[in-house]
Order: sequence, then C-alpha cells, then structure tokens
Amino acid sequence: MARTITVEGDVNSIDTRVLLTGQGSVTAPSLVVPAGMTKIKKLIAASSADGLAAGQVVYFIRLNGNAVLGGEQVIVCGGDGAIAPQAGSDTAPFLGSMLILSDVDIDVRPSDTITIAGEMAGVDIGDATMAVTLVYGK
Amino acid sequence: MKLYRSREGDITAVDTKTQLTTLGSETAPGPLMVPAGAKTIKAVITAIANNFAVASDGVILVRLEGPGLPEGPETVAVGASGAAVATGGKGSFQPMRLELDIPVTPANEILIFADMAGEDLGTVSVGVTLEFTG
Repeated sequence: MARTITVEGDVNSIDTRVLLTGQGSVTAPSLVVPAGMTKIKKLIAASSADGLAAGQVVYFIRLNGNAVLGGEQVIVCGGDGAIAPQAGSDTAPFLGSMLILSDVDIDVRPSDTITIAGEMAGVDIGDATMAVTLVYGK
Repeated sequence: MKLYRSREGDITAVDTKTQLTTLGSETAPGPLMVPAGAKTIKAVITAIANNFAVASDGVILVRLEGPGLPEGPETVAVGASGAAVATGGKGSFQPMRLELDIPVTPANEILIFADMAGEDLGTVSVGVTLEFTG
C-alpha cells in the first residue's frame, strides 16, 4: 500500500528557503505522515522559472520536520538558465526540470509532520514554481 | 535507509576546479562529512544550468575528493550546454542520477568540485547530492 502527498509553491528569491505548502486548489494539504507509513519510497520534483531575469539556478528540495528520522535531507532536482530576457514572440520557453527517484528510502515517523521546502541557488532568474510528490510506504 | 547530502556553487572559468561549498540559504554549511554508518555512495544526483552569456559550448564535470573516499578521487561528467550567440540562449536542464557504489569512510570529509571543460560557458551553477547507504 502506498500513500502520497503533493505540495507546490512559488520560489521567487535566490538563496531563500521556501516552504511548499499549497496544492493548487487545496491551499493547505495535510503534511502529517499517514498512519502506518514508515518510509518515503519515491519522490518526484518538478521545477521551472519564468526567465524574467538573466541568470542561472539549480533547484533543490529540503525534507525535514519531526517526521524525518535521519535529519534534514537535501536533494538537487533541476536547473534553468537564460541570458538577457527576451521579449514578445522571441521568448523561448523553459520546459522545466523533473526528477523522479524510485528508491528514496528515507525513514519517517508516521503520524508526525513533515516539512517540504524548495530553494534555488545561483543567480536570480525570475520567479520559479516547484512541486514535490512523496510516495510513502512501509 | 539512505541519507542525502548536498552542496552547490557557481563556476565561472573554464578548466578551473571550483569547490562547491554552499547550499542556497546556507552560505556556510560546513564540511560535508560521511554520515556515521554509511558504507557507500550509492548514487550521485546532479543539476546544472549556465547563463548562456557566451557563444560557446562545453561540458561540466564533478569531482569527488577527500579523506572520506578511501579509494581516491572520482570524476563524472554531469552535463553540457552551448549557444550560437551570446544574446539568445535559454534552457531548462534535466537533473541526473548516476548509480554508483563508491566506498566511503564514515566521519571523514568529502570535497565536491565542479569543472567546466571545452569552452567558457559563462557562469554555471552546479548542484550535487550524494546518496549514502549503510
């Protein structure tokens, strides 16, 4: 049996830890690890920026909180880069980065709270959005 | 149980080994120590991005060194980029997970470096996660 939690949020400043607490139309999904779940088995992280500033960043996520038994776990998950902002029809899209880990194996304590944060490091590239899905198991 | 330890940094010159010592909002996270009980680096997860400030092409290498690696240093290629003009480059970069089995010595430090080779890509941000297992 598996259970999932997905959170997302906007990361708009460089070198700033941002808690990912939304879920689209659900503004405050539960961050409590479901009863009986003792591990994070899989992880999906998606990220992209609007490129309104010239720069380059790498994205990473931080997993911590009382539920994470091994202390904070930090995992890099993608990157975006752009030179001078382009305008109008010349604008090229960022197609985004996605990391899928199928054997994460992080121990968690059920019925306790996990904290999921996103961050970008490098040189500010504008606004970014990040999403993380955790798949819990035993 | 696995443990994930990360560092990131910017590299700005070709053929120059640059240590990755920061972690975003943590400007001085300190040495990256092999966690107690860890026996191997099971995998390396990497992410890169350059700013396309130069019409050029190059590759990015990551080097692992230090007393935490009893078998000596390791170097892996983690990505590449290029642009034809210095005014129009833009791109997303997919992360990479490379499965490895590198022995480690607990309570000793691992130093992570990045290098760009080929031609100067401008400024490149590089992030590296070490996946430790017992």
